[in-house]
Amino acid sequence: MKRRDFVKTLSATGVALYASDLMGGLIAQSPQGRVLDSAYKGLSDVALAEAKRLGCTYADIRFTRNINDSVAVRDKIVVDSGGFGGAGLRTSAGFGVRVIHSGVWGFASSPIATEAEIRRITARASEVARASAVAKKFDVRLSPVDAYTDYWTVPVRVKPEDVSLDEKIQFLMQITEAALKQPDIIRVQAQIAFDHEWKYLATSEGSYLEQEIWRTAPGFTVTARKGGKVKSRTFTVAPKSAGYEVALDAKMLDNVERICAEAAEHCTAPPAGAGLKDIIMTPSHAMLTIHEIIAHPTELDRVVGFEANYAGTSFIKLEDVGKAVIGSKHLNVTCDRTLPGGMCTVGYDDDGVKSQEWPIIREGKLIDLQTNRETAHFMNQNFSRGCTFATSWRNFPFLRMPNLHVDAGPAGSPTPEQLIADTKDGILIDGRGSYSIDQQRYNGQFGGDAFWEIKDGKRTRMLSDVTYNAITTDFWNNLDAVTGKDSWEMFGTTGDAKGQPVQINHPSHGSPWMRIRRIMVGAAYS
Amino acid sequence: MSYSRDEVKQITDKVMNMCQADAVEVAFSGGERSATRFANSSITANLIENDQQVNITVYYGQKSASATTHQFDDASLKRTIEAVQALAKRRPDNPELMPPVKPPQEYLDVEAALPSAVNFGPGERAEMVRQSVEVCEKLGVLGAGYIPKFHWTEATANSEGLFSYFRYADASFILTCRTPDQTGSGWAGTTGVKDIGNIDARGLSEVAARKALQSRKPRAVEPGRYTVVLEPRPAARFLQLMLGSLDARAAEEGRSFMSGKERGETKIGQKVFGDNVTLRSHIGNPILRQSPVGEDGLAARDVTWIEKGVVKNLFYSRYWAERQKKAPTATTANMSLVMDGGTATVEEMIKTTKRGLLVSFFWYIRGVDPMTLLYTGMTRDGLFLIENGEIVGPVQNFRWNDGPAVGFNNISMLGAPVPMHTGEAYDNPGTALVPPMKIEDFTMTSISPAV
Repeated sequence: MKRRDFVKTLSATGVALYASDLMGGLIAQSPQGRVLDSAYKGLSDVALAEAKRLGCTYADIRFTRNINDSVAVRDKIVVDSGGFGGAGLRTSAGFGVRVIHSGVWGFASSPIATEAEIRRITARASEVARASAVAKKFDVRLSPVDAYTDYWTVPVRVKPEDVSLDEKIQFLMQITEAALKQPDIIRVQAQIAFDHEWKYLATSEGSYLEQEIWRTAPGFTVTARKGGKVKSRTFTVAPKSAGYEVALDAKMLDNVERICAEAAEHCTAPPAGAGLKDIIMTPSHAMLTIHEIIAHPTELDRVVGFEANYAGTSFIKLEDVGKAVIGSKHLNVTCDRTLPGGMCTVGYDDDGVKSQEWPIIREGKLIDLQTNRETAHFMNQNFSRGCTFATSWRNFPFLRMPNLHVDAGPAGSPTPEQLIADTKDGILIDGRGSYSIDQQRYNGQFGGDAFWEIKDGKRTRMLSDVTYNAITTDFWNNLDAVTGKDSWEMFGTTGDAKGQPVQINHPSHGSPWMRIRRIMVGAAYS
Repeated sequence: MSYSRDEVKQITDKVMNMCQADAVEVAFSGGERSATRFANSSITANLIENDQQVNITVYYGQKSASATTHQFDDASLKRTIEAVQALAKRRPDNPELMPPVKPPQEYLDVEAALPSAVNFGPGERAEMVRQSVEVCEKLGVLGAGYIPKFHWTEATANSEGLFSYFRYADASFILTCRTPDQTGSGWAGTTGVKDIGNIDARGLSEVAARKALQSRKPRAVEPGRYTVVLEPRPAARFLQLMLGSLDARAAEEGRSFMSGKERGETKIGQKVFGDNVTLRSHIGNPILRQSPVGEDGLAARDVTWIEKGVVKNLFYSRYWAERQKKAPTATTANMSLVMDGGTATVEEMIKTTKRGLLVSFFWYIRGVDPMTLLYTGMTRDGLFLIENGEIVGPVQNFRWNDGPAVGFNNISMLGAPVPMHTGEAYDNPGTALVPPMKIEDFTMTSISPAV
């Protein structure tokens, strides 16, 4: 069956999902799931043959097409607001050719997917590599990879393109109208961002891989002004690799009244003051702390200095793997590019390596890192963990973090209520706020979206002016309790920036509720 | 890829002729973005990204929508236009929608695509890496750097007959040197350079390498309030922290540092910074050579934002200006930004400091409280203790919690402004003319052993 036979005209926009441009047209003409019969097989072979002719020792070509569509309503007005790839409806399609020549990478990309342009761009990539060789000290070394021919996609219950624009606007309008009726609310914005990514990767190792991913990220933010103070509060919905069901299942409207009341209460909440406190992190808050002080420092390219000029290096050294204690026995961390719903869940990475799940911290000890084909040899490993990713067709693929989670505690672990009941003097932190970390990920300062005082085992009142300072290993060594799998939730970010030029990744980070004993809070305001 | 005025006009005309709407606006952008990266004194990536796109906005009364495509063949444009037209018709009226800008708009003539930058290729970039690595090896450090180049064209056309066109080319050289024992790190760079002859790869490499060597084995000193001498890069990052507050709407809606006591009031006319803080957008500045085209194709004009510490202007978008019965500002606060400097050198700032810190770089700055412009960030890549007018040695990095609301009232010395990027990354236009500055009582809150 040809894909064009069931391509639907979007009820929302009138855009056919595939057939809205030339590259989409070629996708629509290709039989879904039969990768070697795709129009892109022939185009790919043009690049691979040209690269071989030019003396490249490795080559790949990656076609991608992203439709980023975001619907946003601010104060009852439909606005163009940021989504996965910017505001409004954006279709971006093209290809990039990556080669190794003279032991050095070369890369070139173009939005014009014709045979002639593919030849020209392949030649450019080869020229760039050869020109660069005058300044190389070592050759690129790639770990082995199997050759695959496969089609992989994300299970989607409700395709976003099958939901009318009217319905999406109505959904968001209800939220903003309800919020603006609440006391002290001066502004509200609700939005749903969608990303449909299609990609076709062919490598000189013999792989032909086609993948299709839908990502959905809803949420709303209200701003309250009361007593001369202004505070915002966001209803955090976990973004997922999935369809419109992410928005439908999120109970956004049900939470409007609560979120508005919390924003208003936050305006007049007393400052927490500075001092040592226990903190309890909900999963929506812990997401960013995990991202910054576990996920980033365990990227192998940072560890070996590749990112020294921008994102930074890491406090972790190669020799720490298998030895260093990063946290308490409650800290178990797993990388996972296979878990359904994770925004970095894919069938294969942009090197053509099959996705996998692997532990990196067990009972506090560092046992592994995030690797890709280019960096695995630094760990004396002859396989890649499959962490290569590029934001779009135009970008050079490099090591990006996978979904990375703190595991839930074992059976018998406390519930969130028991965790609070067991805390004498603490602060409960929900949602993401201010965050800043040094270039080696030792010293982090984090805020949150909302804070509550915990006194003698009870959640009492909201607090303001809360930040906490984390020296990474001290912080995780003070992790003294995690809740069980019933309260484990996976949140994520659509804005993980790294690389030069900067590229954006969309990792998910799951966790249970976690308690950190005696951590410095409030220093930013003292 | 290079796009001439005529080529771009043909594309935008074609799109407008294909659209059926009350009004149409087409924004074109395209060109080449290239970059060379190196780390551990060896090239790690070299790339050329070619791109082109049109963002098409159609209007039906107070309804409007936009869509973007990167493919300019007739079929792709037709389908994108059909999509955006359908999208706009399905949207509810937007009371804040502004009609397209009417011509004539008199744009300043800015020649921003000089041949040396337009033709700056992978071979020249690799040669700079080679020169830099040579210096690094001579001095015994490892270099990690980035050399981005843009050759880009932007244009706006609308159905009122307006057409703006701006092409620019620039490059940067940014370098971090680290000592092999990983105890020292130093930064140097120059950004937004229009004439490649102004990039001194060897000289910058010497600076970064020497900083790395001098910053080895830093000792910890107590957090607290310090006099800080900010070199141009951290000064540029600090300056950027106040730009977002210059939006009139946020100020008048009571959501910003520039809000007045009552909702609807702003701080225009009030003295909020020190006498030595003057900030303006200088369109046509001969060093910056940045775009003369403002919001929706309005002709950008010089704006004084802050004069001797007094807020003179805030940015009024076209919609907010009409609602408030004011003229639109046209120039956004990040355009061709110039901060007035002084006559002091960094050396003089050090000599006149009893106890303080010389700061090479600020990193990972994030907002803590937007209403008070309180931010947090880190120092990085070379932090040195000053005592009795001399640098006495490297110290461990600090986390700071401070902001321009306080810091720009405590500037005690300013140097000569130099071009420096104000953003965290270097990928988009954002270079301003920024002086090094000495700030008193800057709040360092905790230490980091990160190097």
